[in-house]
Amino acid sequence: MIKEGKIGTIEAISISTIFLITKAFYINPGTVIKLMSTAGWYATEISVLGSMLLFLILYLLMKRFPGNDLVGIFDIAAGKFLGKLFSLIFSGFFVYYSGVNIREFVEMIKAYILPYTPPSAIIILFMGIVIAYAYAGLEGIARMGYLSFIVILVGLVIILVLPFPFYDIDNLFPMGGYGIKASLQYGALRSSAYSEVAFLAFIINSLQGTKNFRKAGLISLAFAGIIIGTIILCSLLAFEYPQGSENLSALFQLSRIVYFSRFFQRVETVFIFIWVMASVITVSITFYLAVSIFCKSFKIPKYRPFLLPFAFCTFLVTLLPENISEIVEKHTNFLRSYSMFIVYFIPILVLIIAIIRGKKGVKEKDEEA
Amino acid sequence: MRKLRLILFFVILVFILTSCTTDRHEVDDQVYTLMIGCDKGIENKVRITIQFPTYKEGGGGGMGKKGGGGSEEGEVSGTLVATIEASSILEGINLLNTSTTRRISFVHTKTIVFSEEMAKEGVRDYLQPIARFREARRIMQIIVCKGTAEDFIKDNKTQIGESLSKAMELAAKQSENSGYFPEVPFQEFYTATISPYRQAFTIYAGLNEFKTIKPLDGENVKKNSPLRTEYNMQPGDIPRTGNRKIEFIGMAVFNGEKMVGSLSSYETRYFLLATGRFKRGIFTIEDKNSPGDAIPFDLRLARMPKTSAHFENGVPVVNVKISVEADLGAIQSRIAYEKVNKINDLNRHLANIIQGGIEKTIRKTQQEWNTDIFGFGKKIAHNFSTVTEFEQYNWLKHYKEAKVNVDVIANVRRTGLMMSSSPIRNNEDTILSKERK
Repeated sequence: MIKEGKIGTIEAISISTIFLITKAFYINPGTVIKLMSTAGWYATEISVLGSMLLFLILYLLMKRFPGNDLVGIFDIAAGKFLGKLFSLIFSGFFVYYSGVNIREFVEMIKAYILPYTPPSAIIILFMGIVIAYAYAGLEGIARMGYLSFIVILVGLVIILVLPFPFYDIDNLFPMGGYGIKASLQYGALRSSAYSEVAFLAFIINSLQGTKNFRKAGLISLAFAGIIIGTIILCSLLAFEYPQGSENLSALFQLSRIVYFSRFFQRVETVFIFIWVMASVITVSITFYLAVSIFCKSFKIPKYRPFLLPFAFCTFLVTLLPENISEIVEKHTNFLRSYSMFIVYFIPILVLIIAIIRGKKGVKEKDEEA
Repeated sequence: MRKLRLILFFVILVFILTSCTTDRHEVDDQVYTLMIGCDKGIENKVRITIQFPTYKEGGGGGMGKKGGGGSEEGEVSGTLVATIEASSILEGINLLNTSTTRRISFVHTKTIVFSEEMAKEGVRDYLQPIARFREARRIMQIIVCKGTAEDFIKDNKTQIGESLSKAMELAAKQSENSGYFPEVPFQEFYTATISPYRQAFTIYAGLNEFKTIKPLDGENVKKNSPLRTEYNMQPGDIPRTGNRKIEFIGMAVFNGEKMVGSLSSYETRYFLLATGRFKRGIFTIEDKNSPGDAIPFDLRLARMPKTSAHFENGVPVVNVKISVEADLGAIQSRIAYEKVNKINDLNRHLANIIQGGIEKTIRKTQQEWNTDIFGFGKKIAHNFSTVTEFEQYNWLKHYKEAKVNVDVIANVRRTGLMMSSSPIRNNEDTILSKERK
């Protein structure tokens, strides 16, 4: 089996939170405002609560099979064939997730900073860094994630505080958005936008126990809810809901309107810095997971030889969308509105199968203690 | 393996160090437009005028040094002005690259000017490129000018200091010192044009040809000098000579994308006071106890205005409470307003004048244009539970029906460097001051 090493709860919270909030650097706040207008900032918390609920169901599954990660549980509970099939679905999903995320990053970087640079040049450079991270392994990603998390938080605070002269609390009214029904409907559906936290189930053995798994998952979901809710709130405060739904990147626009004097303006470099950091960590996690799940499901002890083939697959996914409209309307919409049907519902299905078949793991000594 | 890593490392290093992507730009390989003007075109949709630095002495950015060559024909304060007609702003500027030696960039554009004629026809087509194009920054100022934008830009020069870009930023900041015009970044203007709560406004500007000030010749000298306090002037009408021709005074009012009218200098001040944007300014009133004498105040808002709104029998009612503070600048009549019993009178008089002015300005926006530039819609929105209901009600349509109650409290806090005014005497021992009458 792959030796993934151990990571602390704080590191797990850091990488999980980064993984969850990276979408807020892209089109996500604009989409939420478009769907829920003035209610977007608190309706996203409905998504968080929905995701927390599903995560707790996932926790029940993990608790039933202590000492096993999700790949192992698939095999035990659903049998070798179905188990492998489920694992491969997740491996493919993470390849797809990496590819779409890289392509979204590329489109944004082309829209704002490097309009004439060939996308393949950006993708190859980005992939190079991601491969290096994945080569270092989970421990390496977690350590870097922890360091990056602090920098990202500081950067976010700077970007969200500096445009305060543009903030107007009245922009949040009428507070009901498009109505309670719409807020609940989209809020629940967009639980998918917070479903990434389920990745912790694949690295649970590095987290040293199911309790740490639950703790890391719930805390990172709460953090992500607060951070994304605040970003949407600031976007509404500065832009009102009609313009808030137009912006390609709410955070980038917020950083571009900062103007205090001739000498204090143009702070978007802060945004670019933390944006790249968050995107690299996120794609490194998903890319690493794709390779590691594949190797675990076929009991391959070394994952590194698979990095380049998987990088090639990811590169192919990045080429799938023909334009930014396709990325926004099809791919990211799928990931943020429907991915929970894969990420949460497959494990829930496995839990049901396990209950029906009476499959259970063996309790570890430390778990019992 | 080690060799392979080294080769890969150097390949990446070369790639990064040479910045060999198509997006690399040497800073001085480009020219940076300072001002963009839009007029109605004759041969095509829009006539675009741009102003950019020559990188010679005083070349706009303030980085110019001597020795860069003499001034060129048509050079204005170290900048060149070029005009072109095209189908759109972006196309026009791209077309100008055919006659410019360096690529024209928007990244340092400070201002975009629309001619009044164009603003009245609608600026919708010209907002999109600024909102959408990555180079254009939303912190640039929006101006509507009387006459043509082309002429306006040709007179955009600095007489104080070398840097035109600095002069332009400081000129916009003068709003904070006078309150005669608002400071409106594109971000705010654009948001207002698509807002369901309010409508857009921006700086109104023009060129002063120095013809409104009458010469001090024989006939004029003999005339009495009347006191005019609330001079409601339009751009270009300030009686003055000297300094630069450009003047910002008043504001252009928009209904959606079209300019529908303008507020004069004092109306603008009342607008700024009612919306909490007024920073400070000398505000002069006529002394009611001594007609013909003026009392100038250094006026500022004591705190942000409190605005609330509700519905009464289906009629929207808006209440605005404004609190201003002032320091006495002068008492021409030398009446002892510094005394406690008189300062309260003065407070009430000042408050009444401001309240009347604000009410009149609000009525003007309601009756003449039905355009809520005050943003009362944001307070009206508190009375709706959902955006759907608010949009169905359509506040912008109902603005004219609103009853707006204005309440102003004025407080003259300080009396300058004097506690009282002593009477002025002449050699006949006649007290000229009216204080003792």
